[in-house]
Amino acid sequence: MKHTTSVLAALALSVTLGALAFAQAPAQGGGQRAGGPPQAPPPMSFFVTSTPKGDGANYGGLAGADAHCQMLATAAGRGAAKWVAYLSTQGADAVNARDRIGAGPWFNAQGRQVAANVAELHGDTLEQARLGNRIGKTTAIDEKGNPVRGVGDMPNQHDIVTGSTPDGRAFPAGEDRTCNNYTSNATGSVMLGHHDRLGGPNASWNAVHASKGCSQQNLVSTGGAGLLYCFAPGN
Amino acid sequence: MSYMRVMLAVVTLVVSLGSYLALAQQPQQPPVPMSFFVTSVGLGRGANLGGLAGADAHCQALATKAGRGNVKWVAYLSTQGAGAVNARDRIGNGPWNNARGQMVAMNQDELHGDTINMARQGNRINKERGRDENGNLVKGVGDMPNEHDMLTGSNLEGRAYTDNMDHTCSNWTSGADGMGSAQLGHHDKIGNGSGSWNSAHASRGCSQPNLVSTGGAGLFYCFAPGN
Repeated sequence: MKHTTSVLAALALSVTLGALAFAQAPAQGGGQRAGGPPQAPPPMSFFVTSTPKGDGANYGGLAGADAHCQMLATAAGRGAAKWVAYLSTQGADAVNARDRIGAGPWFNAQGRQVAANVAELHGDTLEQARLGNRIGKTTAIDEKGNPVRGVGDMPNQHDIVTGSTPDGRAFPAGEDRTCNNYTSNATGSVMLGHHDRLGGPNASWNAVHASKGCSQQNLVSTGGAGLLYCFAPGN
Repeated sequence: MSYMRVMLAVVTLVVSLGSYLALAQQPQQPPVPMSFFVTSVGLGRGANLGGLAGADAHCQALATKAGRGNVKWVAYLSTQGAGAVNARDRIGNGPWNNARGQMVAMNQDELHGDTINMARQGNRINKERGRDENGNLVKGVGDMPNEHDMLTGSNLEGRAYTDNMDHTCSNWTSGADGMGSAQLGHHDKIGNGSGSWNSAHASRGCSQPNLVSTGGAGLFYCFAPGN
């Protein structure tokens, strides 16, 4: 009888603990889930880099930026997928960032969806643009699931290097918007987005304003650290 | 001579102390007048706000209590049917600023994303800036309880719906349980697969419990058209 009681107590305890674990599970897709068993989160396919390369906007070109994404993902145990940086290049053979990242949907390290598809991510129709994607301070987290510093944090590092237009494409050749296709740490300028959608002349995630220059110091003084968005196209 | 100097010094001290104290005791003025807030509380009767007039009066009462009653306040709500009203036509031309003087939108184009570029860039309403009349944050996704559903009755462009469905809980006169519906926005722009501030999804019904179970508290946006 005494044995039954303690078994029952243990059972009750484990059920309670289980419920607690569920309560602590991250919300899926930002919506409220009414009951149901906890599910494994979808594989991560989006993150903001926790650290920059550290040489300003000189990433050694697109390839170097992709390698930075891959390295951080691998260090976080997410290296099984292929990772690319959300960056456009200008000039001959210009590359559009939106063409590099697959079709979506994309999920952060906590399994929360940041966008269902390319059209939602970029607001391709007026309605989609008005609805917006789901990138914000709480969803645009790094590869380890930690928040990225934004407005109100010290220092503010919300400037994310994109080199892209609001629709995720390359700027025309001419005025530098990519720090010479991510090979310059000195002259030039790069277009930046804000992962927290705060504090700029607009709330764009990918094209708010240009940097003061291409050096690490210039990126820092503009309000950033030279961080990147990384996507897993095949995930 | 020495007496004069001492007197002068005393007078200077008194004057500077006086002006310093007067300055310090003045209430901290926001850099720009407030012209936008999220109601800190609803009316508690679900989506029955007593029509547009009742909703406007709620905005005005809350603003007055917060020391911001010297301007006219209106609720950001549309109505349907005969004499339909568009929320966007009620609120003036902007720019609109919250209780902390932070801008939430420069103008109508930005607030409603009237061009695709404006829409992509979005307005500046979010958890941080979508504050109540006292400058406090409003509960959203991640808070307990989540109260981010804002009554709007409006489509994405801030206008009245023209179909035959109820999107305004009978033009803000119904608090019926399980009947009717109101279109809702999210002040934190998070949830339900939408980042819209004014038209994210419909409510389950019009009663207070219906609004609460959908993820709200019957809160709404207030604007000062003339500020």
